[in-house]
Amino acid sequence: MTHDSPIPSFPMSSPNLDLFPDTPAAPAGPRLVPAAAAGAAPRAARELWLCLWLPSLPLEALGERATGPAACAVIEGEGSRQWVAAASEAARRQGIRPGLGLNAALALVPGLDLRERRPDAEAALLQRIAGWAIRFTPVVSLEPPAALLAEVRGSLGLFGGAEALRRRAAGELQECGLVARASIAPTPRAAWWLARAAREEAVQSLDALPSLAARLPVACLGWPPEAMRTLVTLGVRTIADLARLPREGIVRRFGPALLDELDEGFGRRPQPRRRAVNPERFDEILELPAESESLALVEAALSRLLERLQAFLRARAAGIRGLALELRHRDVQATRLRLGLARPTGDVAHLLGLLRERLERTPLPAPARALRLRSTIATPLVLASGALPGEGAQRVDPEAAARLVERLRARLGAEAVFSVCLVPEHRPESAWRVAEPDVASPVAAGHPRRRRSLRKKGQPPASEEKGTVPFSSRPLWMLAEPQRLLQQEGVPLHEGRLLELGSGPERIETGWWDGRDVRRDYYIARARSGLRLWVFRERDRGGGWWLHGVFG
Amino acid sequence: MSSQRLDELLRHPSVWCAAGTRNGPKTLPTGFGRLDERLPGGGWPLDTLIELLLPAPGVGELELLVPAMRAFGHAGSGSRRWIAWLAPPYLPYAPALANAGLDPGRMLVVRPRGLSPQGTVPSSRGLRPGWRGSPRRGLRRGLYPQGTVPSSQSSSQSVESPDPTLWAMEQALRSRACAAALGWSDAAETTALRRLKLAAEEGGSLGILFRPAQRAREPSPAALRLLLEPRDGALDVTILKCRGGTPGRVEGVVRGEP
Repeated sequence: MTHDSPIPSFPMSSPNLDLFPDTPAAPAGPRLVPAAAAGAAPRAARELWLCLWLPSLPLEALGERATGPAACAVIEGEGSRQWVAAASEAARRQGIRPGLGLNAALALVPGLDLRERRPDAEAALLQRIAGWAIRFTPVVSLEPPAALLAEVRGSLGLFGGAEALRRRAAGELQECGLVARASIAPTPRAAWWLARAAREEAVQSLDALPSLAARLPVACLGWPPEAMRTLVTLGVRTIADLARLPREGIVRRFGPALLDELDEGFGRRPQPRRRAVNPERFDEILELPAESESLALVEAALSRLLERLQAFLRARAAGIRGLALELRHRDVQATRLRLGLARPTGDVAHLLGLLRERLERTPLPAPARALRLRSTIATPLVLASGALPGEGAQRVDPEAAARLVERLRARLGAEAVFSVCLVPEHRPESAWRVAEPDVASPVAAGHPRRRRSLRKKGQPPASEEKGTVPFSSRPLWMLAEPQRLLQQEGVPLHEGRLLELGSGPERIETGWWDGRDVRRDYYIARARSGLRLWVFRERDRGGGWWLHGVFG
Repeated sequence: MSSQRLDELLRHPSVWCAAGTRNGPKTLPTGFGRLDERLPGGGWPLDTLIELLLPAPGVGELELLVPAMRAFGHAGSGSRRWIAWLAPPYLPYAPALANAGLDPGRMLVVRPRGLSPQGTVPSSRGLRPGWRGSPRRGLRRGLYPQGTVPSSQSSSQSVESPDPTLWAMEQALRSRACAAALGWSDAAETTALRRLKLAAEEGGSLGILFRPAQRAREPSPAALRLLLEPRDGALDVTILKCRGGTPGRVEGVVRGEP
């Protein structure tokens, strides 16, 4: 966990707006930052904080839309003491308010859809929103239970000013179906006050705060209920009223912590914020609305998860090398699918295609109730440069090569797709082996200089291992295992007809050191059907004839 | 006169034409002069589908393609595109490929399960040594995979292309990662062939489909259809269909040396 640098203290700059006219003696408590620069010219704030407050988060964390047509409410508390934590817009129109007792709420709206509050889901959603918010600035901080603070001063130029940024942040959350209040102020605490008071504006100067405080009700301070009751008895309605009280009085009545809050709000005391830690890997669970065996429903949920993955990766300009999908069932063990990728990718459409291939081939033992998608650690993506017109078809796009291999393997299995390479070995069946398709660096490997050096003097291109191709004639087709041929008077038969032996014999007698020794005489033979075959006669074991390859 | 000069100018290697239409249909010499003479454009048509019909795999069809495959390795300075082998009847033998001037590492072999007539693919450690036991199947005539897939698989195939070989071939052609895709399948219907042709055009890749000679009578959307027949160690090539050319027979194209 990292702390941001503490917010520097901002001197009160205008004497007319002194918040504490009743305390001329300035009983500078130990926490009070001395107003050293009183009378200096107004300055723009050095920091600007965007606060996103999500009043309906308890509802949204359960997958409900706060603005939907259904009247629903989230309740918390135990036993007989239960109250409404959040209510949808439709419920609020019928009189349901946060804090209302459960019985009162049911009396008001008998058909109210009640849900139990889930703080874990709220925290997860807030964390996800923090992951989204790093598109605006790297300095994002959580303010549980339902707010985010982000320092956006350095991003104003990119997003076209504070107001444009504020609108964009609010708009994007709204598009996701989240109700959010977005405000900007020079201190995090003030931004939070503004958002809680539903004053969605961008205040960019510390000097504007005191006048603004006159319009902020004390309710947005979020103080404990006893403190709020005391404020009401004192006749304090706005934050400006509160700030006008003697400081010792505030400390005596409410304790030093609440005075500190006030000072933080007006920028007279730094408020260090803990930065939200963004997870390195994507790991999210999506519960299906109902248990389902239908692939369509599972795929719909999967594409929602992948949308989130895309947002996750976009915010980091990163890609992943693998994915694990887990389908959870009620009683049976979860179905697990693993996807390995040849190259890091951030292309979610491609991932969806691969996962769909796999899903279609995976029988579900029971209906699925939830999906969990985990990724490998996100790695930075290196973006490829595009081809100039006219050379497009010639260049290998390394992405394309990797994608082809992944797509084929997703459907046909990993072992069905391979490449071949040479092995320095005289035994024909050991002179090659299966190799992993080279998708890692086809461009680097295909660098013109290297290619030229390989091809010079008409050498075969891949003879990196020395002494591999002394043969003049080897068949392009090889049988995985040699096939026994019948023989008639010492001449091999193929399809019941005598083979006509051509060039040969080429004697291969080697391998005695590892117990797999061969002693063979190879011939090129022509069959009546016109095929040219590569056959051999064993020099031991009775001299049988075998077919080993076909000259394609 | 001036247009001729313009043509000369445009042919200069440092001039790029954004639309590749100027050069007309692209072709690649087959490497066999007598065949090139008969083919329009003097070689294999590119970015399309070619159908080769043969009585059995191994009549010399690969030898016919080797010069073209070698050219794919050279074409274009940055080109290291793959040559995909889809459900080949046997394994392409790396030493022979290298011997023919091809880079084995550029070969992408795809063998869908249930479609390898020669049994298992060797493990990555190489061919299993103890092959002394009796081999499984004989080399049959017309060794085509017949597109047979275990029923458990075929039930979940997507509707678009039920045959895994053709599906894989389409993916390879479309991917832009392959210079050519060689496919062995007998399951191709006209619509599937048309899909392959479209994929080849879109992906800028050459599709070569090997089918049994019996299919010669069936119509096909392929741009070029050749019937290959071995005779006396050479290969007779009959041009059944060719875009912008005339059908006919070319005898003794590939000279083998048995």
